[in-house]
Amino acid sequence: MASRYDRAITVFSPDGHLFQVEYAQEAVKKGSTAVGIRGTNIVVLGVEKKSVAKLQDERTVRKICALDDHVCMAFAGLTADARVVINRARVECQSHKLTVEDSVTVEYITRFIATLKQKYTQSNGRRPFGISALIVGFDDDGIPRLYQTDPSGTYHAWKANAIGRSAKTVREFLEKNYTEDAISNDNEAIKLAIRALLEVVQSGGKNIELAIIRRNQPLKMFSAKEIELQVSELEKEKEEAEKKKSKKTV
Amino acid sequence: MAATFFGEVVKAPCRAGAEDDEEEEEERRRETPEDREVRRQLARKREVRLLRRQTKASLEVALLEKYSCSRFIIAVGNNAVAFLSSFVMNSGVWEEVGCAKLWNEWCRTTDAVHMSPTEAHCVFYHLKSNPSVFLCQCSCYVAEDQQYQWLEKVFGSCPKKNMQVTVLTCRHVTDYKTSESTGSLPSPFLKALKTQNFKDPVCCSLLEQPNIVHDLPAAVLSYCQVWQLPAVLYLCYTDVMKLDLLTAEAFKPVLSSRGLKGLAKNVPQSTEILRKLMTANEVQSNIYT
Repeated sequence: MASRYDRAITVFSPDGHLFQVEYAQEAVKKGSTAVGIRGTNIVVLGVEKKSVAKLQDERTVRKICALDDHVCMAFAGLTADARVVINRARVECQSHKLTVEDSVTVEYITRFIATLKQKYTQSNGRRPFGISALIVGFDDDGIPRLYQTDPSGTYHAWKANAIGRSAKTVREFLEKNYTEDAISNDNEAIKLAIRALLEVVQSGGKNIELAIIRRNQPLKMFSAKEIELQVSELEKEKEEAEKKKSKKTV
Repeated sequence: MAATFFGEVVKAPCRAGAEDDEEEEEERRRETPEDREVRRQLARKREVRLLRRQTKASLEVALLEKYSCSRFIIAVGNNAVAFLSSFVMNSGVWEEVGCAKLWNEWCRTTDAVHMSPTEAHCVFYHLKSNPSVFLCQCSCYVAEDQQYQWLEKVFGSCPKKNMQVTVLTCRHVTDYKTSESTGSLPSPFLKALKTQNFKDPVCCSLLEQPNIVHDLPAAVLSYCQVWQLPAVLYLCYTDVMKLDLLTAEAFKPVLSSRGLKGLAKNVPQSTEILRKLMTANEVQSNIYT
């Protein structure tokens, strides 16, 4: 049945599916994992770094991009589609600032991206964008925000979410471990993001990229050393927890 | 012929049976000796050849008629092959006993005769310490018309009843028919399908209707059902069809089954070997990030 209704984007199937949109969601699963966490005073974005070819410049393979000084996003899916969406979003951020003399709110730019994606699910001859995005930042009121968009053009606010390959595993981990205590402390929120990624990242800390935004501060990208430090701290804590457990059983 | 709204031209079904018969007869009359020769050459090109190890000599009898077999494990697809390579083949000394060479439209080469040794995609091994345990690593696609030949050349026309067959393979999770949405399925996950004579417990839930099995694993299972051989297929539904660590590791519960018992010795070391295999085979692609 699918084959007769999946060629043209503007066609509904008899049971109400837009197959191209659903196939675009499959394309998102081909991208590596990205996780976003909204803390009390911090927002964290962590991504699984794809291994780079020997002769490739690592700096050109980026999953976390700043849209403005106070908003950044991570995506999963088709690289080229992401580049187009990010460029449009960046232009919109500046255009908004010039027009109304205020920076965009996180919700505004998320809505802009989602509207753009939705247009491509309803136009002839076009296909949907094959990316999902996690958009984080702080508004002027100082409240941290995390939004997720998907190829259908929907967007929702989240406390914590994951997209890309093995997103379900990471989301289940977050559901079990996201507590108010876990995110009240900035360091704990960062550790939660790293722990969530380590559930699915194959080679540990060296394949993780992390970015944070603190209230009234610009985007900070963690260096490889800083991530290694966090990972080794986590491993120490894990060892200590296991020692305590074995003492209790004895 | 009919045209749809979208400009597709589709063949409209015709219930006038008499018309069809006449057309078919005319076509048969039109077939020339050249057509027959082309058909013969194509059949020869698509022949499944079972070769002895290291030589180009064909095996005269079916593989499992030549050797006695108590356990036969078949891995179909790159993730199942990677799993068996890391967990089973690295835990013992396995000797190659033969390979199946076949060509079809899915092969990357157009030359059916001079395929390089690295393209012998169906390789058969037996365990040196227990030569009745056989293993097949099949990483090529066996087309529908070649499956019967493959079965005949491997199992023979009258298989022995004391053999137990285990098949491992993968399928994309979007093929799994369920009332839940595929986004909520815990992929990768294992499902089992067994023949009537398979009495041992399976290490995962059985495949529910209306899901079906396809390709070579289906052919093997059907063959075993007809010949009343105990056989089980472990099917891993995954959302990553290329070589993937999580997908290959999803087969781990099968190590406790009777078919693979005692064949995997050092699981942590095997996991490390699997990890290295994955990184070695990673194809650089910048399409998805």
